[in-house]
Amino acid sequence: MSANAAIIGVGQSTYVRRPQSGQTTHTFIRDAVVAALKDAEVDAADIQGMAVTSFSLAPDTAIDLAWRLGLSLRWLLQDTNGGCSAMNMLGHALRGVETGAASPILVVAGDATGLGGYAKIAANYNIATREHLAPLGHGGPNGVYSLVTTRQMNKYGIGKPDYGQMAIAQRSWAAKNPFAVYRTPLTMEEYLAAPMVADPLTRYDCVPVVAGAQAIVIAYPDRCPRGRAPVQVRAIRHSFNYDNQEGDGLQTGISTFADELWQAAGRRPEDIDVASIYDDYPAMVLAQLNDLGMIPDHDLAGFARREIGEKRKPINTWGGMMSAGQPGGPAGGLNGISEAVLQLQHRAGERQIKDAHCAVTTGYGMTLYRYGGTAAAAILEGMA
Amino acid sequence: MSDGVGIWRCRSCGTGYFPARLLCPRCHGHDFVEDRVTEGVVEEITVVRHVLGQTDWQPHRLANVRTVNGPRITVGLRDESGPGTTIRLFEEGTVPFGAAKPAS
Repeated sequence: MSANAAIIGVGQSTYVRRPQSGQTTHTFIRDAVVAALKDAEVDAADIQGMAVTSFSLAPDTAIDLAWRLGLSLRWLLQDTNGGCSAMNMLGHALRGVETGAASPILVVAGDATGLGGYAKIAANYNIATREHLAPLGHGGPNGVYSLVTTRQMNKYGIGKPDYGQMAIAQRSWAAKNPFAVYRTPLTMEEYLAAPMVADPLTRYDCVPVVAGAQAIVIAYPDRCPRGRAPVQVRAIRHSFNYDNQEGDGLQTGISTFADELWQAAGRRPEDIDVASIYDDYPAMVLAQLNDLGMIPDHDLAGFARREIGEKRKPINTWGGMMSAGQPGGPAGGLNGISEAVLQLQHRAGERQIKDAHCAVTTGYGMTLYRYGGTAAAAILEGMA
Repeated sequence: MSDGVGIWRCRSCGTGYFPARLLCPRCHGHDFVEDRVTEGVVEEITVVRHVLGQTDWQPHRLANVRTVNGPRITVGLRDESGPGTTIRLFEEGTVPFGAAKPAS
């Protein structure tokens, strides 16, 4: 548990489906940094460390960003773990503060690839993709996760309407998030009638790529602005290349550490008031919840129908990336952490979960060949 | 086009991999020999119908295939072979494909 480090502020840029003239990865990141520093009531001159992740910062790197932002630092990190990057940077930053390496540390992520840039990233994600998948016309991650989704449907008896419950529920949360790119309520009829993208994935199963950025500030808890609780990470665990791509992809790396995570946090799945589960595809949300031990009897379909569909269990309460938008894979993970912070500090406005005290956040990503190779999860609480 | 798909088999424990690895995940041996898998069973299929930003996209069929005595690989399906079918595998450059076996 990180006793002497906490998340004290969050901020984000606007999210747009297509970057406009003058909007770049750098300007979105700048906007998120300005918002997060204001929220944390920290002067830029006081920032001692920075972590950044982005698919579209190149050829610049973290040091270029520090220079452009005018930050003179003693701790600097650039992370490359995709949907797991935010969680990875969070872990490093907490340890950075706790060990006295730097405080406050700014953790930032953003992307503005545009359509052409996204296509290049999807086709050149790694050597395996470039040589063995892209020439097949695999269409980026949609092609990969369509196969994973079919496997999950077959194994657990899940139907399309079950995934639809998640898309509809997250859209209803997004209606209460002014930053979300899609806020109009979604009906089951609309979900089921949506055009097929890669069987069985239809339009609303595929995360919308947006341009935008997010930032959070991690520091000694006493730096937290008055009137709100610093958010403590009770436990955080990571997994990389957990099965060498030899499984079916229906378990994530979270399965390797879930028991240890709960034990280290001193909490149980039933203690969770709000969950931010990395949602690039509905199937992977269910897989991660299942790995966390949050789906009784591994009844994924029943969980989707009852807990998500009927009871609106607080999962991805900002709308998730599915409705709010995915600002590149790496930045996406910061959405869920930021939302958990807002909920635990009781600052989530219309979408606030009453008395939210304990949250779980996850990250999942870096499709190596047949599914993702990175995963992480953390248990967060507001400090008394 | 060449028959079969090239895989890499660990000389020490015999496990086959695709794509190539640097060390064997099972025994961490570093010596591999090239092998070829010529058949596999189709497990799941998708048709990639739309791709972001592509206006003249033609649908592509992809399949996850369990190769005989080898790894699971993703292939381009050149015909209407369905799940459960044993198909023949072939390669164009570094790209694996599959299609129905010729009638014997």
